[in-house]
Amino acid sequence: MNEMLGNQYFMARNYSAAQIHLQEFLNSNPNNKFAKRKIIICYTQTGKMEDAYKYFIELIDVDIDFIVNAHPIHDDCPCPELVEQIENQNNLNKDSLDYQLMLGMIWLYCDVEKSISYFLTAKEINPDYPRIDHVINKILNYISTKQIQKK
Amino acid sequence: MSIPDNLKDHILDSIAEGVFTVDKNFKINFINKAAEKITGHKREEVIGRFCKQIFRSEFCFTDCPIATVLKTKKNLYDFESSIQVSDGSQKPIKLNAAVLYNEMEEPTGGIISFRDISEFEAISKSLLKDLQFQGMIGHSKQMQDIFDLIEEIADSNAPVFIHGESGTGKELIANAIQKTSIRKDKPYLKINCSVFPSNLLASELFGHIKGAFTDAIKDRIGRFEIADKGTIFLDEVAEMPLQMQIQLLRVLQEGTFERVGESLTRFTDVRVIAATNVEIKDALKKGKFREDLFYRLNVIPIYLPPLREHKNDIIPLVKHFLAKFSIYYKKEINEIEEHALDLLLKYSWPGNIRELENVIEYAFVRTNKSTVIEISKLPPSLTEFSPSENVKQQTFSSNKERTDMLVLLEKFKWNKTDVAKHLRIGRTTLWRKLKELNLNS
Repeated sequence: MNEMLGNQYFMARNYSAAQIHLQEFLNSNPNNKFAKRKIIICYTQTGKMEDAYKYFIELIDVDIDFIVNAHPIHDDCPCPELVEQIENQNNLNKDSLDYQLMLGMIWLYCDVEKSISYFLTAKEINPDYPRIDHVINKILNYISTKQIQKK
Repeated sequence: MSIPDNLKDHILDSIAEGVFTVDKNFKINFINKAAEKITGHKREEVIGRFCKQIFRSEFCFTDCPIATVLKTKKNLYDFESSIQVSDGSQKPIKLNAAVLYNEMEEPTGGIISFRDISEFEAISKSLLKDLQFQGMIGHSKQMQDIFDLIEEIADSNAPVFIHGESGTGKELIANAIQKTSIRKDKPYLKINCSVFPSNLLASELFGHIKGAFTDAIKDRIGRFEIADKGTIFLDEVAEMPLQMQIQLLRVLQEGTFERVGESLTRFTDVRVIAATNVEIKDALKKGKFREDLFYRLNVIPIYLPPLREHKNDIIPLVKHFLAKFSIYYKKEINEIEEHALDLLLKYSWPGNIRELENVIEYAFVRTNKSTVIEISKLPPSLTEFSPSENVKQQTFSSNKERTDMLVLLEKFKWNKTDVAKHLRIGRTTLWRKLKELNLNS
């Protein structure tokens, strides 16, 4: 178990190495939100979308704010730079389910509205994708709650 | 009894090394006063921030020192790195790193202590300025002429033959020729012809095919093939067996050769720089070195003078070695006593610059609590030296043997039993040898 080494690899943007150590840590500390928030990003960047999605659902069920409020400087969240890179990449199949899921998850760290639009497109591609309705409802509820709070 | 936290902070603030600690997320949670001073970052600006955002070292993304300790479970000492200071510039540092553990032996953070090595870097740079030409010191006319010649032949592919006694810097000259030549970005290989038995030398230079001889278990490419389009430095070329000399001559004339055990002729385009420490005229007269090969190699001859013939380089060389060892041994010794220097200038230096370097190192190591090298700290070979020695009568080979023996004697602190043991000879034989080399005193 080496959470600290996982944190360093994450900080150095070595996602494949980070995910090994963070996963190991999560196996014995399954409720650690910090490790989960990082490993979701790692798995999206190493193409393990199902693993990312699993932890994503677990975390939004417990504390969706913890993802939405991730800060690029205070939390060293790489998502703003990642979404820019991914959306400008031409060699990705932008009509694929994985692409929509990946950006749906990563955008939640930066912009809830953008995130929901990607999840809605993912649902259009595969309406039967496991727990897609749950994810969409969770985010929509979050948006409406926040709007009520603003009012 | 444990030390209270405020006292720990006070202790860390009182030391000259910069210290900062990070938590398990690599956020800075402590920085001492020395670190503030070295980096220019204020404590209140950095606490709670990720270390990579503050120090922006190239190693944050490749070899984070704390991550290295986590991986290897061994603390890191004297690791060279650089950090960004408050004005945005990079400062070279040497650091130590360790991981902090809780009572469960889980890593909870890391500690870095570091010191500013900008001053060391400045010394290195000033040392580089002293180096007159491609890492060589040479204020004398003889050496300056050689440096000029090297620059003049930079565009040439002609073979070069370097002649000079042992320790005069033949390899440095060869390196300089290669570095300034048009082949500088191509392969550069060095081979000492005296260290290989003749059958292995052929294989080393030209390669062999599987089964060519007992140990040839697979095909092997030789140096001439690897160095194609580049340069090869053949040190102690006069030690090459005559049969090999014919093969070398063919490479020089036609650029062709065969691997050992193969009949296929191969082509190569290699510039040859050769060197010898023997009197080549004697070797030619005795038939130990082929005349035709000599003329082929000797297109551009360079004669490196023995140190006794350019003694005006001794002072800058001594200065250079003092500065070098000051950095290496972390001792500030920058002067040499007048009598000691006088002796260095009078000595005949049979082992040339290599011997001078060894002498300075010997004296340097023995000098403590002083910034000046005294005559008493010089090796006995020098202090017992009589200026009336007629060194010019000594041959190159006996000079070399004498130097080698001196090096050995110095190494074993003149304990002759140890030297004899090392050479696997009896003490009487050693005594006879020392007498022969005029070292029996």
